[in-house]
Amino acid sequence: MEIQTPSLPSDRVALPNQGIWRRLPTLGMAIGVVGLLLTGLLGKGHPADALHSYLVAFLFFLSLGLGGLFFVVIQFLVRAGWSVTIRRLAEHVMATLPLFALLFIPIALGIHEIYHWTHADAVAHDPILQHKAPYLDAGLFHLRAIVYFVIWSAIGLYYWRTSRRQDEIGEASITRRLQNLSPLAIILYGLSQTLAAFDWLMSLDPHWFSTIFGVYFFAGSVVGILAVLILLALSLQRAGALHELVTWEHYHDLGKLLFGFTVFWAYIAFSQFMLIWYANIPEETEFFAARWNTGWKSTSIALALGHFVLPFFVLLLRDVKRQRLGLMVVSIWLLAMHYLDLYWLVMPNLHHDGPALALADVTSLIGVGGLFLAVLTRLMAKGALVPMKDPRLAESLLFENA
Amino acid sequence: MSKQPWGILAEFHTPEQLWKACERVRDAGFTHWDAHTPFPIHGLERAMGLKRSWVSMVVLVLGLGGAAAGMGLQWWASTQAYPLVVSGKPLFSWPAFVPIMFECGVMGGAAGAFLGFLGLSKLPQHHHPLFNSKRFERFSDDRFFLSIESTDPEFDPEGTAWLLRSQGADHVEVVEA
Amino acid sequence: MAEAQSTLEVSEPVDLDPIERRPDLIEGNPSFHDITEAVARPLEWKAPLGWYLFLAFSLSLLGLLGVSLAWLIWEGTGIWGNNVPVAWGWPIVNFVFWVGIGHAGTLISAVLFLFRQRWRTSINRTAEAMTLFAVACALIFPAIHTGRPWLDYWMFPVPNQMSLWPQFRSPLMWDIFAVNIYGTVSLIFWYLGLIPDLATMRDRSTTVLKQRIYGLFSLGWRGSHRQWLHYERAYLLLAGLATPLVLSVHSVVSFDFATSQLPGWHTTIFPPYFVAGAIFSGLAMVITLMVICRVVFKMEHIVNMLHFDRMAKLILATGTIVGYAYATEFFVAWYSGNIYEFFAFKNRALGPFAWAYWTMITCNVVIPQVFWFKKARRSIAVLFVVSIFVNIGMWFERFVIVVTSLHRDFMPSSWDYFTPTFWDIATFLGSFGLFFTLFTLFVRFVPMVAIAEVKGVLPQAHVHHHNPIVHGSQGGRGQ
Repeated sequence: MEIQTPSLPSDRVALPNQGIWRRLPTLGMAIGVVGLLLTGLLGKGHPADALHSYLVAFLFFLSLGLGGLFFVVIQFLVRAGWSVTIRRLAEHVMATLPLFALLFIPIALGIHEIYHWTHADAVAHDPILQHKAPYLDAGLFHLRAIVYFVIWSAIGLYYWRTSRRQDEIGEASITRRLQNLSPLAIILYGLSQTLAAFDWLMSLDPHWFSTIFGVYFFAGSVVGILAVLILLALSLQRAGALHELVTWEHYHDLGKLLFGFTVFWAYIAFSQFMLIWYANIPEETEFFAARWNTGWKSTSIALALGHFVLPFFVLLLRDVKRQRLGLMVVSIWLLAMHYLDLYWLVMPNLHHDGPALALADVTSLIGVGGLFLAVLTRLMAKGALVPMKDPRLAESLLFENA
Repeated sequence: MSKQPWGILAEFHTPEQLWKACERVRDAGFTHWDAHTPFPIHGLERAMGLKRSWVSMVVLVLGLGGAAAGMGLQWWASTQAYPLVVSGKPLFSWPAFVPIMFECGVMGGAAGAFLGFLGLSKLPQHHHPLFNSKRFERFSDDRFFLSIESTDPEFDPEGTAWLLRSQGADHVEVVEA
Repeated sequence: MAEAQSTLEVSEPVDLDPIERRPDLIEGNPSFHDITEAVARPLEWKAPLGWYLFLAFSLSLLGLLGVSLAWLIWEGTGIWGNNVPVAWGWPIVNFVFWVGIGHAGTLISAVLFLFRQRWRTSINRTAEAMTLFAVACALIFPAIHTGRPWLDYWMFPVPNQMSLWPQFRSPLMWDIFAVNIYGTVSLIFWYLGLIPDLATMRDRSTTVLKQRIYGLFSLGWRGSHRQWLHYERAYLLLAGLATPLVLSVHSVVSFDFATSQLPGWHTTIFPPYFVAGAIFSGLAMVITLMVICRVVFKMEHIVNMLHFDRMAKLILATGTIVGYAYATEFFVAWYSGNIYEFFAFKNRALGPFAWAYWTMITCNVVIPQVFWFKKARRSIAVLFVVSIFVNIGMWFERFVIVVTSLHRDFMPSSWDYFTPTFWDIATFLGSFGLFFTLFTLFVRFVPMVAIAEVKGVLPQAHVHHHNPIVHGSQGGRGQ
């Protein structure tokens, strides 16, 4: 069944020709490769330092891809109409996921430098680690990583491809198929993302455990993708694309979601902290003790204020959500806080006394970020920035906040 | 003895007619007038030229006030009025005080929303001249009304009635005070 | 107010959704007046015999509650099965069960409202009423669980003759605040939604008494748009406040358990897991009640299969989250390397209360899977049966959490098996009497469907604009 959709001017749905957009695929690649090479050089003497920095950068951009996957699949799951004109941007972010399978290689190789449980001598003297050995095992760790990347890449690429196919043939059945697959996709995503968070973040401190940890990582990644979607749409519009396709109504809604997930993140973070603080059981409290009774205390406070209190009050204001500068500042700020969150999760494992900024933090961020942007813009250059034949396109264009 | 009537009431059949009439009345410069509908018509405030409601401000102030009061009460009771160490925790155990602070904030905000709504819409009101009209009873069923008060500077009994009739009102009547 | 005319030409979609060819939210293309009539009918007609029979049944259960409470106060908490090590028995299970049910109302009225799910209009009033009655039932249990209910005022921060203040570091105190405030805010939300409908009842009342009563509670509402403007803003803000509130309330209930150091209770996923479970159970209760109401009061066109289909999907979604939490808990119990923690979970699945655990898994995780099939989501019989199973399963979930975690203490010498007494069962059944009595009275005297809101989603309520699309410009306060 073919569906009548409004016809969109082609200059509005294509990646802008002027500005940096067309140069980013090569430029980003160059910067990325240089960044990664520099990180490699910096890691020559002490690989553990560089690998920890790299892990933070890797997880930061990976979480954006995963957030994008969640955003896209949930739109199909709930059959959302309002979000159609911004969904393609999330689809592009999600389609970068296979890149991270490649970027995982340094971590897979450097596992011994990052994860304490890989040290056979440590395990030999530690009954708890011996108990966990059936799960925390290097071979299984790698196998699980492969499974995660297969799941994410399969979902990401399938949705990206199929959605783009609809631009050409305009079949409504495509939407129906993607809707029908969405429950399965969201379940696979939920399980794999939880275990990945356990594997790559929680097992940094192999004695520590928290059942909510998968949800915590999820909350942060959704904050990340919403900020990225706002920034992508704003900067594309500045360059002349998406004119009148993404309206203030869409930004307003993205802003509301950003507010909602900032609060959700705080709710999950507070639940985890308060329950562990309250019961005060040594093997759990050590996680917060390492981040409070040390030089990390100020970082912890900054995270609570910057990731929740400040954006909470700013995003409460309606005008901020309907205004370019306000949205831009809040989104950049929250992305920075999302990075800080991951930094705060990873780094106390390396620097026990307090944060110690390193050049490798910057180079790895530039390295992974450059490649991420290069792949993202390369994907964006292929075809439309909006699902042009989505049956719900009209609903999205006419969408108004109540 | 002729008493000044309260105003004029026009009855419409559909939301569209009312909408157009509202735009017309707004453009004619009336200020003391209102629309009465069985359900809220989305966006009618634009046709009427009304500003956004500021119930939000009441909610914000009372919400923050409630949260502060909740935290204050716990701080005062636990450190001043009855300091007692429980399970080795500090007297001012802020993480344990967050849930009640939050609940009190929501309570304040909800009270603000309700009282703000009542205050700004001048309710509860014992009686209103509009209830003198028998036809007006259908505002809560299936009819759409537009009322213009005689206190409006633009009001003129015949001209205003004509204006409303010209907008397709089914019925126009004078409402006694 | 700067508004820019769009240069795009977009015609409004004829159908609300081009993919699904959804059935109308309200079937049969009724007029505004038809809606008023359909909703007002149960309040104005002579009640059917079934209503009286059901009221009599509910009242007799309520009597059982009265007797149970009187005997409890006379004799003391020894009449229950609670004893060391299971010092929290049925009363706390019942408390959590009822509070959980009370969560669906606010989910439907507030969360779905924020997500612009217009189908909620047909069921939100009933769901909200159910919330209030469930919270009322829930509040009984902590109050009587103290053993000396006449001293319950000790729990409130009021100046007293002993110069004592409540111990705010106790999660049980958080509960007092959370549940009471939840009840109050839900009441405000419900009442705010009722005001226009009570005005409708006032305007069509045939007797002076009715006119006076409905008139009193409708506060002189006259549907003025200047009032609607504040009304809608207040309603939106209340929804915005109720959404985190609903999350917080069951989180606080979960804190009662999770702040402890008891294996099986102390786990960080409890807050979101309890919230999902609460919504899951509440939706099941909404389905159970709606299936009955729409048949008794002939509202099949207002509460149609579309509504049930959506609720069944929500049950499937929240049930899946609950299943996720069960799995995570079990896995981390092993992963933690804490032998006591893992023992508690092995004991749940294989110990003396394994029958309760597997009842819970069957009812909450296995049976709702039928809702993957559209046929099941649209069959009244299946919906009714599954909703009952979910209600049972969620009661057992709380039973499993409370009883199996306690009955095997750290010291094997204290191990015991828990058996409820006659009075445990009588009090629980009696609480259903309170719930059903309130609900039966509600459907007879209060409009059980939000009249104004349902009218607002009818096709003829939509004003078609002649101009194509108007977008507020940057910083615009347009809409």
